[in-house]
Amino acid sequence: MDLETALSRRVPLDRCEGILRAALLERRAELRKSWRSFVSSECLQSLGSLAKEVEMFLSGPNTSRDWRFAASFTWMDCEVPFLDSLCAIALAGKVEYQLSDTSPPRLLPVDLNKLSSNERLKALCARYRCPLNIGLASEFDVAEELLRQSMVQDRSKLEAGAEFDVDMVLLKLNLVGIRAIISRDLRYLDALNYFYELPRRSLKRMCANPRLLASWLCLYAQLLCTPDW
Amino acid sequence: MRVAVIAGSISGGFRIASEIETLAGVELFVIVCNVGNRSPLLRWSRELLSALRSFKWWTAATKAYSYAQLGRLIILHRPLDDSTSIERVRALQCDLGLHAANVIYREPTISAFRLGILNAHIGILPKYRGRCVVEWSVLQGDPAGVTVFFIDSGIDTGSRIVLREFIPSNGWKTVGTLKNMLFGCDARLYRKALEALMQPGIQFEINDILKGRRYYVMSKMFNQIVNEILIDRTNLA
Repeated sequence: MDLETALSRRVPLDRCEGILRAALLERRAELRKSWRSFVSSECLQSLGSLAKEVEMFLSGPNTSRDWRFAASFTWMDCEVPFLDSLCAIALAGKVEYQLSDTSPPRLLPVDLNKLSSNERLKALCARYRCPLNIGLASEFDVAEELLRQSMVQDRSKLEAGAEFDVDMVLLKLNLVGIRAIISRDLRYLDALNYFYELPRRSLKRMCANPRLLASWLCLYAQLLCTPDW
Repeated sequence: MRVAVIAGSISGGFRIASEIETLAGVELFVIVCNVGNRSPLLRWSRELLSALRSFKWWTAATKAYSYAQLGRLIILHRPLDDSTSIERVRALQCDLGLHAANVIYREPTISAFRLGILNAHIGILPKYRGRCVVEWSVLQGDPAGVTVFFIDSGIDTGSRIVLREFIPSNGWKTVGTLKNMLFGCDARLYRKALEALMQPGIQFEINDILKGRRYYVMSKMFNQIVNEILIDRTNLA
């Protein structure tokens, strides 16, 4: 028997989508008020000129950009550094990229995991200098591995209040968020939901990397008002 | 066929054993694991509580006694993947294990059973692997069900599916009650799977992991949405 002939009565999908959309917008409204409990004023100030934009984005009206176009490319090259491109995507801005005919050699999760934490961070930032590339079909295995690590190891560490690598956890959450925005895979969105719902005391340490923290929250805000899940 | 129920408690083991012991051609054992490596006091207090809660403690006690007398009740004091536990399991020379304990199986444990260990997974494979798959299937508008398959050391990646059964999820207003109902189907479906395995020339369906996704624990927000969808579904019916 296939799924189509199953016995369960299916709720019309538009009703499910309606329930989902309402809940996401409700969370967006909540985030508009709650984001300051994630980003302390010192943390915000350390963003420098970016602080105002982040503040306006998180406190302001719903803003999102449709990034699904990126999934149809082979590879994109960005000239600006990783963090600048990430910030532009997070703030639903414009990203400068050039299409490339060739993509870098396939990165296997097993090879990624052989690297030390610092090397892994560098490798991911270099590979996804244009962060939209994480949304490509060719990056499925890496994205799945980042999702798995976030939702298994990182989640359990944060839930237990144990020490964790702030930079790496935030980098993964940002890449997972971009994958969600391009692929519209609810599992990736829910990883961000899950981390947002963790006790605030577990997330306090994330202020150690204000830029990645701000971009994660802005990406999350954008995902919450993204239609067509 | 020599079959062992691998249970986390005596009452849990006999719940499944009761369904299967009447099956012709099956010689049944119950292996009770020390899940979480608990101290004897904690472990036996939990056993007692669980037996009393089931209101069938007398039946469970007499059944346990008769199984023990026949050497068919095996109580493990060390973790299941400990070498001494594996030796005890191997000595039973079982053809098949039935998963009913909250443990992770490593390769030496799986290979202690001639055919392997069956798991009644409360999700439809290959599409839904991992955790909270009932919730995810409701959220994505797919039907609920149970898949009985041979486990391997991965997360729901064992390649041989014995049977899949779609189970109506209408009328369940919370995901918790829906999941309990699905978990409760394990004994019946293990029996059905055993019947199928005892037929000559059984063909397994392939659990092609490329046709599915691994799911993870769900956020509170999505859980709430799933409950709303279930209520909506009930109201529509």
